[in-house]
Amino acid sequence: MGGPPRYTWRFDVVLENLPLLLTGLWLTCTLTVLCMLLGLGVGLVVAFGRLSRWRLVRAVAFAYTELFRTTPLLVQIVWVFYVLPIVSGITLSPFFSGLLALGFNVGAFMAEIYRAGILSVNPGQTAAGLALRMTRAQTMRRVVLPQAVTRVIPPMATMWVSLFKDTSILSAIGVIELMFRAREIATDTYRPLEIFTVVAVLYFVLTYPQSLAVNALYRRFRMQE
Amino acid sequence: MKWNIGVVTSNLPYLLRGIRVTVAVTFAAMALGAVVGLFVALLRMSRARGLQVLAGLYIDLWRSTPLLVQLIWVFYALPILIGHSMTPLVAGVLTMALHVSAYLAEIYRAGILSIAVGQRHAGLSLGMTPGQVLRRIVLPQAVTRMLPPIGSQFISLFKESALVSLITLPELMWQAQSLAAFTMRPLEILSAAALIYMVLTLPQAVLVNYLHRRYLAH
Repeated sequence: MGGPPRYTWRFDVVLENLPLLLTGLWLTCTLTVLCMLLGLGVGLVVAFGRLSRWRLVRAVAFAYTELFRTTPLLVQIVWVFYVLPIVSGITLSPFFSGLLALGFNVGAFMAEIYRAGILSVNPGQTAAGLALRMTRAQTMRRVVLPQAVTRVIPPMATMWVSLFKDTSILSAIGVIELMFRAREIATDTYRPLEIFTVVAVLYFVLTYPQSLAVNALYRRFRMQE
Repeated sequence: MKWNIGVVTSNLPYLLRGIRVTVAVTFAAMALGAVVGLFVALLRMSRARGLQVLAGLYIDLWRSTPLLVQLIWVFYALPILIGHSMTPLVAGVLTMALHVSAYLAEIYRAGILSIAVGQRHAGLSLGMTPGQVLRRIVLPQAVTRMLPPIGSQFISLFKESALVSLITLPELMWQAQSLAAFTMRPLEILSAAALIYMVLTLPQAVLVNYLHRRYLAH
């Protein structure tokens, strides 16, 4: 008889280790939220840097976004974990290294999203604000940003979904999130098929509704993905 | 902190071998993914409801799970299921190809659907078959609209190829990490690896920006 040998699935192994997987999942969710918050803040600073009147500030902000957008995320994460301590003299835990690397990565992409949103508002609106004797900052706050926000939200949500998936890469530096737990349990139990299948399903079940929500946002704001 | 650039220059051949693998793996996965993606896109647009659903499920499966999870699953779990082990190269290229095929399928579909229905009707009323309409009228116009997003996808794939180092495929990131451990100079080696990725990605980004301006400027 040909074909592969019959395989006996043992999902009870997964069930026994479910609490461990869930602690990993909890960290995955926590990291996604924290990295997004960091990225939103960093991105805002960098976006205004990109739109600054001073050439030097623009150049630095541009270099920052390009640096993060043209290198692989894994390289950034590994660099922050192994090299940053040598450069800065400060040793960081895997958790904080991961948070920094991923948060600043999101920051670079968010900066471009903010910038595109701000630039998409008709320049005539800024001119009108200034003509009404508002200051530049007031025009930005009262006129441009409220309009830019609706154009920023859908791509921001897309960013969130990729971030949720990308946190799995943090397992490479020993952050004990879902993927790290899965690899640990798979090694301990010799049941990689069951463990990795369940984890893939977990990621799918959690990510898919988010993707649907993102699609709904794009439709709501009548944008093309 | 003292920089020792010599450790990079003396080990450059080692890193170059990694670059070759990175480039080869990316091109192989992209080529295979482009074909599979086309097939999936056609199924997704077929008239049979069952095929549509199946193709949609395929696309969502690959797009809603992390690439790392896919790589690990194909390399460590799939062999148990099929009773055959896979080399890191086969597992890496196969996973990356199927991963990118899901994204490409959606790009193809969006490109084809972006061509106005009137054009299709015109072709059909001239007595062309649906296949001829697709080949002669829709595709030539759709292709230029697909090029920019396909280019972006290629860049993502190029960067994401670093992940196959985690299933021990000796591409650039793997070479860099083993070299960093061996020489105990992560500062220079990993910085050099980041720089190499940047130098290789920048021209691609410039080209894709050009494609966006050339074909998608509305």
